Amino acid sequence: MQPDGQLVDILDVPAFNLDAGEAVALIGPSGCGKSTLLHVISGITRPDSGFVKIDGVELTRFSEAVRDRIRADKIGYVFQTFNLLPAFSALENVQLGMTFAKNRASMARAKELLEKVGLGHRMGNKPGAMSVGEQQRVAVARALANKPKLLLADEPTANVDPKNQDQIVKLIRESCADEKIALLMVTHSMKVADQFDRVDKLEEINRVVSEAGAAG
Amino acid sequence: MSIFKIAWRSIQHRGFGSLLTIISMALGVMMVVAVLSIHGVVSQSFKNNNSFGYNVIVGARGGAMQLTMNTVYYLSAPVENIPYEYYLAFCDEETRQLELSHSIAAKALENELNTVAVPPPGFGGPGSFLLNGLTEHTLKATQEDVMEINKPGLYRPYTHIAIPICLGDYYEVPGSDLNFRCVGTKPQFFTELVLDIETQETFSFAEGRCFYEWNLEDPEIGPHECVVGATVARRGGVELGDTVFPTHGNPASLDSHIHETPFTVVGILDATGTPHDRVVFLNMEGFFLMDGHVNAVEDNSVLPTGDDAPSAVAPMFDPDSPIEDLETPTEEDIAARQDAEVERIRRELAESDQESGDEISIERLAALNQERLAIERREVTAVLVRTSLDDKAGVLGMFLPSQINQGDLQTTLDWSSYRPIKAQTASQAVNPVGEVTKLFSLFVDPVQWILLALTVLICIVSALSIVVGIYNSMNQRRHEIAVMRALGASRSKVMSIMFVESIMLACLGGFLGWIAGHGLNAALGPVIEDRTGVPMSFFDFAPAIPLTQYLGELSEFVPEAILAMQVSPELLLIPGLMILAVIVGVYPAFSAYKTDVAGSLGK
Repeated sequence: MQPDGQLVDILDVPAFNLDAGEAVALIGPSGCGKSTLLHVISGITRPDSGFVKIDGVELTRFSEAVRDRIRADKIGYVFQTFNLLPAFSALENVQLGMTFAKNRASMARAKELLEKVGLGHRMGNKPGAMSVGEQQRVAVARALANKPKLLLADEPTANVDPKNQDQIVKLIRESCADEKIALLMVTHSMKVADQFDRVDKLEEINRVVSEAGAAG
Repeated sequence: MSIFKIAWRSIQHRGFGSLLTIISMALGVMMVVAVLSIHGVVSQSFKNNNSFGYNVIVGARGGAMQLTMNTVYYLSAPVENIPYEYYLAFCDEETRQLELSHSIAAKALENELNTVAVPPPGFGGPGSFLLNGLTEHTLKATQEDVMEINKPGLYRPYTHIAIPICLGDYYEVPGSDLNFRCVGTKPQFFTELVLDIETQETFSFAEGRCFYEWNLEDPEIGPHECVVGATVARRGGVELGDTVFPTHGNPASLDSHIHETPFTVVGILDATGTPHDRVVFLNMEGFFLMDGHVNAVEDNSVLPTGDDAPSAVAPMFDPDSPIEDLETPTEEDIAARQDAEVERIRRELAESDQESGDEISIERLAALNQERLAIERREVTAVLVRTSLDDKAGVLGMFLPSQINQGDLQTTLDWSSYRPIKAQTASQAVNPVGEVTKLFSLFVDPVQWILLALTVLICIVSALSIVVGIYNSMNQRRHEIAVMRALGASRSKVMSIMFVESIMLACLGGFLGWIAGHGLNAALGPVIEDRTGVPMSFFDFAPAIPLTQYLGELSEFVPEAILAMQVSPELLLIPGLMILAVIVGVYPAFSAYKTDVAGSLGK
């Protein structure tokens, strides 16, 4: 829905499939609906028609509350702006990712993840006291906290300097590979996309002819 | 991570804003707690004192409330005094006989008469030995007077206890701004008057003893002994054996002055939780002997005067003349009086088969070396009367105030022709319970409701500050909520987090406010105690009230066992704060519930 109340179509994806443990880069120009697609896949936004199935569970069948729980259990999310909560330390931000899941992971798991992303020495630091690269690594650790089946990364390197970009992408890819997590990374950077075996263009899988600025 | 920790982190993150919100809430709660507990404790104390050891106060005509405040709470400006004889109207024959024998009239007879003609029956006082040489006329008048003396007081049949008290002096604690009221009274105040008629609780001494009616043991101390209340001892640093110098009049007024007569502290009372705790009780006999407490008198005798008058007729008393002019007997008088007194006591003891009469008589004789103030010169501020415990007499005693208010007491002054020059004779009798109840219904209760209404408004304003605080941070919160939602938090979960945050802020503010409120009580305690006589400390809670008073008509639906419970209104603050927190948390919680995740999440 646009601000003037008019309904417009943003996505019309006949089929989009991601196998377990597979890593896919999704590219497209700004405003073509990449973020919206991630919201639909994660259950934040319900599609007007069609379905989303994750790990054999048809997400779109369920109420919002159930979708929230499934998202907590099966989906990890890495944002472009990290979206760490400033009131919490690095460790607590990772734990926050576990808070809403059915099988809450342990403190040990949170620490292990922070060690894994190279922040074992920064666990008690709050986001404001960390570099952008460190913040994004915390965000990656948080997304992995519940051992999700799918990790959605929405342009995770857009705000990171070039040196850190490669490290972040590498970290995400390796982590997903280690834990057999399917990875869908949205990016508009071909440099990043080139690191993936499979690269999908949204304008090719989306039947709606998108105009720039129509959606997020 | 629990939602409590998430909420707490949110509060911490908004440190200054949270602090302001908590302070605002704390101030509101502090006001409520302070008002509830101060008013509650003071009210309770006033109401506790509503069950006095007496049920009638007799004092000078004027404001009944002022008389009650003076007498019961030792507050308000001092009232006028009444003649001492009014007290005697409530006394038995024996007391009257003893008291009236120390009168100017008796002394005048002593001065007039040289020999005892016919000692009137029953008149065994110090004046009895001088009744010699009466003229026929004077003898007749004296006999009538004496017969009057020998009768029980006018109101004696309806009286159980009567205690006189004298107000008007203060004790200024040296080196401080503290001052306490002095009350001149008799030892019966402590030995016969109960603190509470229902519980029959009496005064008890933490240290020392009560002063004596007229010191029979140590003539060097004489009547200048005093007993202090627990607060006077504690706050005034008064100890047993100390001497205190009363101040005549209110220390705040320019015409007050410190008496030269010291009183020795012979007893310290246990704390009673009543205004008595902050009083210096002086032996009334010593009180009367201090300067400024002696009434000048004149002779209103109807006996013939002028050239044909008998030379022995007592002259008009000069108000400026020292009282010793008339009252100090000569050495011969004392010797004669002692002989007569010794003889009388020995005779009495022999009649009652008692032993050790010599020892007692020596004590009595020692006491006789000091002179009491003549009763015509005496005034008291009030007489505390407990009407007769006998059913029939007690019922009649209910009409005592109306009789006194009709002016019946003034007829009791006719026995002596010597009257104080500026005597206040109009009297009134008040029922202290009625006056205190009136005080409450007219002033205290309405004030309580006004104060409570104000403090509740303060609390509402404080609660609104929580809403404003949270509202102002909602933009930032929406993003955080969206992040939590993206991580899998349900709408109900984020709503709960907002509620918990509101409750935490309210509880923190409430707890700090509660501490601050009681801190305020402790800080204001000395001031309250000074003004009202009611001690207040940090741990004084608002007194418990029966549940029925809270529930009103809803009491019908509550089991009696629960209704019997008494709950301090302060305890109601806990559920009250919770409800308030939930109410103020509704908006942010609902706002959190409605948060559009996709729109608020950004990238």
